[in-house]
Formats: sequence, C-alpha cells, structure tokens
Amino acid sequence: MIAISSTSLSKVYRNGLLNKKPVTALTDFSLEVESGQIFSLLGPNGAGKTTFIKMLLSLAFPTSGSAAILGEQLPNVRIRSRIGYLPENHRYPGYLTGEQVLRLFGRLTGVPHAAVESRITPLMQMVGMDQWKRMKVKKYSKGMLQRVGLAQALINEPEVIFLDEPTDGVDPIGRKEIRDILKDLKNQGKTIFLNSHLLSEVELISDRVAILDKGKLLKTGTVDELTTEGSRFQIGFIPPLPDAFRVEAAALVLPLSYEPEVLTAELRSTQDLNRIIDLLRKHGVELTSITRQRSTLEESFLNLLKREVTS
Amino acid sequence: MKILTLVAHTFREGVAKATLWVLAGISTLILILVAFGFSTETTANGIVLMLFGNATSPPLESSQLAQAIATMQATLARGLMGGVFLFGLFATAGIIPEALEKGIVDLYLSKPIARWELLAGKSLGAVSVMLANILYFVGALWLVVGLKAGVWSLQFLASALLMAFVFACFYSIVSLLAVVSRNIGIVIIGAFLYLFVVGAALETRALGLYLLSGSAAYRTVIDGLYYIFPQLAGMQNQITALILDQETDWIPFVQSLASSGVIFAGAAAVLHRKDF
Repeated sequence: MIAISSTSLSKVYRNGLLNKKPVTALTDFSLEVESGQIFSLLGPNGAGKTTFIKMLLSLAFPTSGSAAILGEQLPNVRIRSRIGYLPENHRYPGYLTGEQVLRLFGRLTGVPHAAVESRITPLMQMVGMDQWKRMKVKKYSKGMLQRVGLAQALINEPEVIFLDEPTDGVDPIGRKEIRDILKDLKNQGKTIFLNSHLLSEVELISDRVAILDKGKLLKTGTVDELTTEGSRFQIGFIPPLPDAFRVEAAALVLPLSYEPEVLTAELRSTQDLNRIIDLLRKHGVELTSITRQRSTLEESFLNLLKREVTS
Repeated sequence: MKILTLVAHTFREGVAKATLWVLAGISTLILILVAFGFSTETTANGIVLMLFGNATSPPLESSQLAQAIATMQATLARGLMGGVFLFGLFATAGIIPEALEKGIVDLYLSKPIARWELLAGKSLGAVSVMLANILYFVGALWLVVGLKAGVWSLQFLASALLMAFVFACFYSIVSLLAVVSRNIGIVIIGAFLYLFVVGAALETRALGLYLLSGSAAYRTVIDGLYYIFPQLAGMQNQITALILDQETDWIPFVQSLASSGVIFAGAAAVLHRKDF
C-alpha cells in the first residue's frame, strides 16, 4: 500500500511586497512511499525537503501537482488525525510542562482525554523524559525538546510520521535511542518519513532514500542501490605488477589506482571486474583477495550532487 | 472540542502575561478602596453617601440613591473599559502573531484543525481572558456596592458581558492586523490608530470630518466607513445608558456584530491561503 504519494508537485514562492521575485522550491516532484517503511529525503540546505513536507501537511500550498496521504487527496484536514509531525526548530509555549505539551497537542489531534492521559507516561518513558515531564519546557535543553517533540508526534498513535531533523541537538546516545524508537515504530507497521542531514544515521535505518537538489528529485532507491552503484573493488596481489599490465589496463579507460600490493578500481559492472582480473591473470599476477568496497551514503550523495553540478 | 482546547490553552497563555496582572491589580486596588472607603449613612432626611467618613452627597431618597450609585458604577465601567482596551491590547496583541510563528504554527496546523478554527480559538481565548478580568471587577464591585448600599443593579452586572462583547469586536480588528502582518508591533500600532484616530474621528464625524467638505458623496463615504467598522465608542455610550437605566439603543451592537463578523471572516480568508 502506498502511504505517501506526490505527482508533479511544484512550488514557487513569491517573495517581496511589490516586486515579487519568484523562487522555485520544488519542481515536478513525483514520489511514492510504501507503508511500513522508513523513507528518507536527503538534500543540501534549500533543496526543497521541508517544502515538500509542508505541502504534504498543507502548511504550504502547491503551485501545481497533487499529493495524497493514505489514499486521501490533499489538502485534507481529517487525514491529519492519522499523521504525526515533528517540525525542525519547533517551539512550545514556555509555561507548559512536557506532559502539558503532550496533553495540549493530543487533544488538538482529537484524541479523547482518557486516551491522552494513558499515553503520556509510556511515551515519556519511551523517549527517556519521564522524570522531567513535570518540568517547564523553557528549562529543557535542545535534546530534551527533541525528545518531547518526538513524543508529541506520537501522541495520536499516527500511521504516518514526518520527522524533520529529529536528532538535531541530540547527543550520540540519544541518537541511538531515537533510531531504536524509529525501528520499533517501523516494526509496528508505521510509515516514517525522515528529513535529515545526518547521512550516517539515515544509512543505518532507512529502507529507501530519495535525493533532492534545487527542488528536483535526482534519485530514489534503497540504501544498497545507492551505495553500490559505481562500486569500488580492491584487488590484492603479490608484486611485482608488470609494466605491460599497466599499459594494457590504461587502455581499458577505467579509474585505477595502484598501491604496492593493492589495485583499487572504480567499476561500473562485474564485466569490468572480470576484464581486470583476466588481464592480471594474463600477465601471471597472483591474486590474494578481491574485496568490494561500498561507498558510504554520504559519498554516494556527494558524488551524485557533484555529477549534477558538472552535468 | 478542539476549539475549546485552543480557547482554554489561550486563556492560560493570557493569564501567564504580566500585563493582565497589572490590570487585575489596578482593579483590586479600586475594589479595596470602594470596600473600605465607601459607605452610606442613614439620616432623618435620607441616605448620605460617604467616602472615607466624609459625606459626598446630600441626603438622598432611595430612587436618588440608586441613580447616584448607577452614576458611580457607570464612571467606573468607563474607566474599566479604557483599562481593558489598553492593558488587554498589550496582553493579547501577541497571541495570534506568536501562534503563527515558524516552529509553532507548524505544530498547530499539522493537527486536524482548520485554519479558521485556529484563528477562532485564539481570538476567543484572548476575549475570554478579558471577560474574566471584567467579570472579576464588575462582579466584585456589584457585590460590594450591593452589600454596602443595598443597590443591586442587574444592568451593571449585565454590562460586564457587553463590555466583553465590545472587546471581542475590537479584537476582530486585532485578528485581521495579526494575520496580515504577523507582527506584534504593527498589531499594537494599528489597533491604537483605529481606537484613537480612525474610530474616534468616525464617531465624532459630525464635529470634525463632516466639516472638511460639504459634498453629499463625501459624507456618504464617511458614514459608510463608520458602519464598516465596529462602533466601539457608540457601544460604550449605550453601556453607560444601560447602567444609568436610560433608554438603550441596541443598533450599534448589531452593526458591530455584523462588521466584526465580516472583518473576522476576512482575517480567516487571508489565513486560509497563507504559506508557512
């Protein structure tokens, strides 16, 4: 089942009072997110990630295109009772305590009073804030606010959860805890849509990833698909490496780098790998190992953006 | 129910503002002065009003006493209304702009709440804070005067609700300014301009604006503007008339209700298509 979909979604902001200068935030953006997945949207600042979430939540209106959540076309007020949202840089009224924040937003989501009350303590325990739930939020640290924000996003037991930089300001232990919570939520069948700059974290938990730049969708796929494309192989050998090999290898027009006992090759396909191995064998080089080196999501992301700039 | 949650939350937000406690403090001071300073003394010729032991009126018959008390209540109600506009505006001008700030509006609007509901909940919450202040002062004054002088004016008690209604009409303009500008400073300046310049000039148009031109079209425009905006001064005059047990004209209330409704609908329409 498709939890989130957008079709040719575009957004142009018009800034300025008199001379309204158009700023394109999103162009022809089409995407589908399956239910029960952790889906991450990656992109540099200003890529259009938050704009996309805002349009899904009807905080901003598309210039053209359409979107749907859980099969309901947007804008749709009712569907928001099935959604949880943790915005970036969220702020709560300082005079409220953590549990009062949950009570307020739980009631605004339409959750009955008794249900809200019964969910506050388990949620605060889940995010590690139970002992501070009666403290005013103005005294909370950034990390504590993020934790309460996550609890707030879950107070209505949503089916789809949008999280914009959920680990912003959270320490490494806290990040791990949040990752574990997200994995638990996924196991409960919830769909999680994540915006994050922390690619190492995204890589650890995401089922699928989309990369966005300057309002355009560059690529979508699983983390595996994105990190194995253009794979790098390291081939161990017993030196020496004959000069004739180097001459013939250069003719293959493949990016190769040489170390005393290791040959590193950036390859696009297994055929390329076999051609290199055949060549090594032809020159009587004894191989000791062949290791496929995956790029990290960050490397893949940066390579993709670099390619986009050069193209 | 969601609107009620917003109203209750906004009430609490308003109560957290120090400005309102200043108004409540001034009200309390006046109430203490009346409670300890005001009394009546029955003489052979009638009842004398006393302030801190000094006679402030000649001996009055019971009907004259009721009139004198009503005059005092009407004067205090006028003062209260001024305080409500002044302190109420400072205390509540920020309620809507703050709710529309980045980081907060995202939270509200990601919930199943229509934008007009958010605006209505916030506006009614602001009005409810002022209603509580007005009820406190009028109710306590009614009780003190009733106990001390035996005058139990229901008109004075009812004026509390009408004063809150006047503030609600005024707040429709505050709402529109808040939605359009999302800036507390602009809201306060704009609301005061309306209160003391535009509203006052339109209310006294026969003594000022009419004199600028003899053209009938000009006068029609001025009259039109008068009826477009809530008639705050007109309603206050009628509240005074009600307390003084004089004939009360309800037309300013009906017209203000209609114009406030239109202004509020305009604010909701502006908010409806705003990108956050």
